[in-house]
Parts: sequence; structure tokens; C-alpha cells
Amino acid sequence: MSFIPEEQIKKKLFKGVHDVPGEELYTSGHRTCQGCESALVMRQFVKAAGPRTVATGSTGCMYVANTSYMTTPWVVPWMHTQLGAGGSSAVGMAAGLRAMMRKGKITNEKINVISFCGDIGGGDMGLSGISGALQTDYDLLIILYDNESAANTDIQATGLTTWGAQTTFTPTGTKHRVMQKRWKKNVAAMLAVGHPTVKYVATACATFPPLDFMNKVTKALETGGPTFIHSLDPCPKGWDYHPRYSHEVGELAIKSGIFPLYEIANGVVTYNYDARKNRIPVKEYLLNQGRFAHFTNAETDFVQSMVDEMWEEWELPGILPVKSSLKVST
Amino acid sequence: MVASLEPLIKGIEVNYRGIFQKNLAKRIGGDIVYVAHLGGKTGFSNGRYSDAPERNGIPCKYFAYVSSVSEEELEAICGAKMDISQADVSVVLDDAMVKGVEPWGWHGIRPINEKVREGGTLLVVSKKKPEELLKFVARQPFNYNIAILPGDSSFAGLWVYKDDLTDVRVLGAIAAIDPDIIHIQQVEEYVAKKYGANRVQAVRDAYNSLIIKEVTPQEGIDWPHQIPELPKWHEFKEGIAVPAVERRFSLGPRGQSRNLHFKRGTTKSLRPVVRFDLCVKCTLCWIECPDECFDPTPDGLYDVHYEYCTGCGKCAEVCPVKECIIMVDELRFDNDASPWKAYKENPVSYIKWAEEKKGQERIIHQVVTGRGLEVKTVENPIPPKVKE
Repeated sequence: MSFIPEEQIKKKLFKGVHDVPGEELYTSGHRTCQGCESALVMRQFVKAAGPRTVATGSTGCMYVANTSYMTTPWVVPWMHTQLGAGGSSAVGMAAGLRAMMRKGKITNEKINVISFCGDIGGGDMGLSGISGALQTDYDLLIILYDNESAANTDIQATGLTTWGAQTTFTPTGTKHRVMQKRWKKNVAAMLAVGHPTVKYVATACATFPPLDFMNKVTKALETGGPTFIHSLDPCPKGWDYHPRYSHEVGELAIKSGIFPLYEIANGVVTYNYDARKNRIPVKEYLLNQGRFAHFTNAETDFVQSMVDEMWEEWELPGILPVKSSLKVST
Repeated sequence: MVASLEPLIKGIEVNYRGIFQKNLAKRIGGDIVYVAHLGGKTGFSNGRYSDAPERNGIPCKYFAYVSSVSEEELEAICGAKMDISQADVSVVLDDAMVKGVEPWGWHGIRPINEKVREGGTLLVVSKKKPEELLKFVARQPFNYNIAILPGDSSFAGLWVYKDDLTDVRVLGAIAAIDPDIIHIQQVEEYVAKKYGANRVQAVRDAYNSLIIKEVTPQEGIDWPHQIPELPKWHEFKEGIAVPAVERRFSLGPRGQSRNLHFKRGTTKSLRPVVRFDLCVKCTLCWIECPDECFDPTPDGLYDVHYEYCTGCGKCAEVCPVKECIIMVDELRFDNDASPWKAYKENPVSYIKWAEEKKGQERIIHQVVTGRGLEVKTVENPIPPKVKE
């Protein structure tokens, strides 16, 4: 793994929307919801990666939506893999390509390997496989598209569902208003902290800030080695809002600071939206979704306090939930 | 012989928009069974196989069977059905579905009255007249009825359920169509007990206000969509490989290659109408479209491929120019031709046509679906910025 200078990577980034190629490599005719942000993630990552890309995806919304009987919206090769195998199938693909190039069976060129997984495939069940993949020296990018529920099987709670959200597993009731009692897992930070050899880890949202997600994909692929991006995808189905507001809900998540937007490149943390300075109340994000319609002030205040704590007290906001400086026990 | 009992069984299907009307359709399906029980009949309701997990806007179906045969016999005949085979009453909860439905597990765009049997009824919740809807409905070789339950299609939502009486009104309408399925007295009794006595009036109003018209084999259109012939299991390639979409891109309408086997235009109830003369070429509609249905054109504008548009309305929402992209009722359009081509041929007449289609009403959706929508009126259209 060689270190690629930042200047060289910068040249390859999109500077404006007019730089984005017009050609679609993930094209129309998929079985996603109206206003699906995860479909936008697929479309944008392959736009940024270009035609010399192979993709693999573990079971989830974006698997079922993109294959059904004998049809596909993919122009680039795509392979389905099992729910827990997002990491291992990426390793297999990258290893296969490397071996075939070494043996001279295919031309020696840069082929991007991108594996995507949903929040169960990436954050819950497939976590160990991804951890394994991040310890290898292959060039591969793993994208976790996080719509905060098992939306493919009709919206069950996962380890990445926001606290208090209604899902089919956690409906609100008369005795217990809040049934989703787990705090959202911080997958990107967990993987960054746990795998110090990984050169690039980022969080993203497909629509805000503009071009941010596509440029992060470019940075990850150019940096090389195993890399990881966690994108928050507002889901009109499970979050219960009108599909036309998909981009707005994502923007609110970032501006309220509930989803920290950062990248860790070669050990340097950059906040792409610095919520330490200007945060809008988290209420604005929560109350624009039907899944939080049962919230009273008590619940929104609790979420607000957790978000405030993250930005004001954590040693590394959004990344490291440690509140005090180093102490050595004597 | 159980098969001989089949004529004694009444079939009802409820066509609805995925997720938006999921709870609504489920309520209707379940309530039909409960009311039938009050009348001493047996029944059961079920969702069509492979509609779940459903997607926002995708046409889905609940169906119910009601009969006076015994529970065991009904189970034996209808228990394992993946879809209803024939419907006595086919309910349509969003009138835009009369243009055809392409449910996501069943290939091809199908006529909405595909399952209606001879003498059966297509019951549409709509503010349109039967004649207006029949401009889109496929011709059938026999007589059947079309019934209109006056009202807006209710996008009731999922976690936040908008209760606008559509469910009890549909029950009243079914009772008016065929008292053998559910009788109005039992519907009223059931609704009073389950939802409260104040709703009985809504049932009665729907029962009385139903417009029924007989449809002859001469009415309707020749169905323009082919049902695709799918490959058999032994025709699959090794490893169940599916050929990728061919790589093709050029500027202009239809310049981008797309998945030819699944066009999902029947998902939309509204379609974006673009005033190309107002466009500032910001690219947002194109870059934010989750369905890749905008085609970049040589002059920097973006054409819309309506066959693939799902009508989510994101483009209209992100467009920074007032009145440039507006979502318009899908039933005002009879084809999916390229709007950019029409604009290039004659800009002024295209703008005139677009403004006619847009009308004066503008729909503003609440962010949470179940909180309904607002309709605003625009007095004067923005004058064209081009000359003939």
C-alpha cells in the first residue's frame, strides 16, 4: 500500500455539478420506493467510480430492488451475496482480480471493487466480515447504506435505528411510548478506531452537502487499500414522510447534528459539517417523520441532550465517546 | 366436489398504493371478513403473494373471499391462492391506477380490470366521471360495471394514519354493489360498534351516492402493453446470471440505456411537467432523481422519460425556479412522449399545453404523509420567456 499525496487525489474530485458525468451506470428500472435515497447512493457511487467497477451487495433493500426475475438496472457487473458476507465477498472479488491480473488472464489495470450493505448487513450481522476485510491489503471500498431499519422485510428495528423510532418490532403502545431503546451504533467510528491501518473512513449523505458523497467515494478509491463509507439514507417508506422531501430530511439530520458528518483520511479527522458551532434543534429533524410522531417533549429533549453531549463533551465529537483526558491508574 | 362450490364464493380485491395505503387496504380487507361474519358467512382476507415487502407507490393488492360454504371448504378452495383469480368487486383506492398496474413481483403492465368477472364491478374512489376513466381501461369481451365512489384517493400513511373515512365508505359502496357480499345493515352495525356511531352516516352516504355505470365490450381501449414472456427455469444461465443493461449514452431523449424489462411508470399518481423556458440549467432535478429518468440534452436542459418516472416529486421540490417543475395529476396525460422534443418543435405551443395541463391547482404535501395535503391556487401562469 503506497501513500497517495492529497494533492493528487484533489485533482480527481468533482468541483461542481457540471463536472458530473451524464452517463448512468446504474440506470432506470429498479424496484425501489418513490424518492429512494439508497438508489441515489447506488447511482452516485458508480458515477464517481466510473465504468471499470465491479459491485457486490449483500441482502437488503438494494439487493431485492435491483434484481428480480431476469432483470437488472446495473450496467457494471454486480453480484449478490449473503446477508453477512458484504466484507468477505469484497475480499474474494479483489483477490480474484489480483490473481487473474498476476497470471496474465486479464489486463493489469485498476478495477474498483465496491461492496455495499444495508444496516443489518453492515452494522449488525455482517460486521465481523467487514472487520476482516478491513484488515486485508486489498483495494476495496465498503459502503454501508443506512436507512435505519430492515426496510426490505417491512421495517424492523436494527442496531442502527434511531432511539425511539417506530418500527414493526417497536410499535408505540399505551403503556410504553418508546420501544426502540437502543442507541444508534456508531459503525464508521468503530471501524476507524478499530482498524488503524485503514486509510480512509467517512460518513456521508447522498444529497447534502452537494457532491460530498461522490467525492468521498473518489477519495476512498484513490486512497486505496480497504476503505469504508457509512451513508445515511432517508427512507420514505420506514421513516414515513412524503417521498418528495427525501433530500430535506437528510439535510436536517446533518444540520441538527444527530448524524455526524466526518472523514478520517490518513488519521486526520475533518468535519464536513461542523455541528459544534451551528446546530438546528433536533426536533426539526424528528418531528418531520411519522416514525417519531408519538414523541412528546420528554423524548425529543432526551435525544437533544444526547446529541448535545456528543458535540460538546466527547473527546472527538461523533467519533470517540470519551469525556475526559487520559488518566493513568497508579 | 369442492370445485362445484366455486360459484358460491364471492371474491373482492383491493388495489392500493404500496405503503401509503397499506393500512387502509388492510383495514378494508379485514373489515369485509368481519362484516361477512355478522351476516353468518365465512370469509378470509390476504395480501397478494410477493407484494410484501412493498415499496412506496407500487401497485399492491389485498383480496378477500366471502361465502356461505363452510370454513373448511372455503379454505380448501381459496386457502393457498397467491392472487385472486376472479373478482366480483375490484376496489381501486387511487384512480391513477386505471392506467394499468405493474406490481413488482408480476411482470408487465396489466389492466386494472384484469380480474373483474362478467357482471362484476370495478369500484374506483375518484372525482372523475366513468367516461373519463374508461379512456384508460382495457376493453373486456363481456359486460361489467364501473362504480365511482366520489372522493379523493386517500394517501393514509403508515405510522401516522390519516383517518378520512375512506375505509368505511368503501364498505358502504361494496354493500350497495352486491348485498350478497356484505349487507348494508351489517356494515352499519359493525361500523357503529368498531369505529363509533358517528361514522354510520358516512357509510350510508357512500351507499346512496354511488354512481354505477354498465360497461359494454365496445367501451375501453385496446390494451397497448404486452405481458412479457419470461424465461423458464431451464433457460437460466449458469449461476443464475442475468445480462447487464447494455452500456449506451448520448445526449438527447432516450440517449441513456435503461432496464427494458421493468418500466415502473405505473407507480406514479402525479407526473412532473417542466417549463423548459424557465429552466436555469442547475442540474438539480437530474442529479437528485433516484430513478435516473432525466436525460441530459445537447442544449443543457433535461428531458423526462415518463415511462420510468415514479412521480416521487423530488425534482419539483429541489427545483429552485418557481413554477418550473410542477407535479400534475397523471390522468390528464394519455402518452409518455418526450416533452423536450415537443418543446423544441414549438416552444410556445408546448408552454401553452403545459400550462393547460397544470391548471391552477398546486398540490403541497405535508412532510408526514398521513397529515394530508394542501391545495393552493395560482391565478396567472408565468408568461413564456421565448418567442415563436
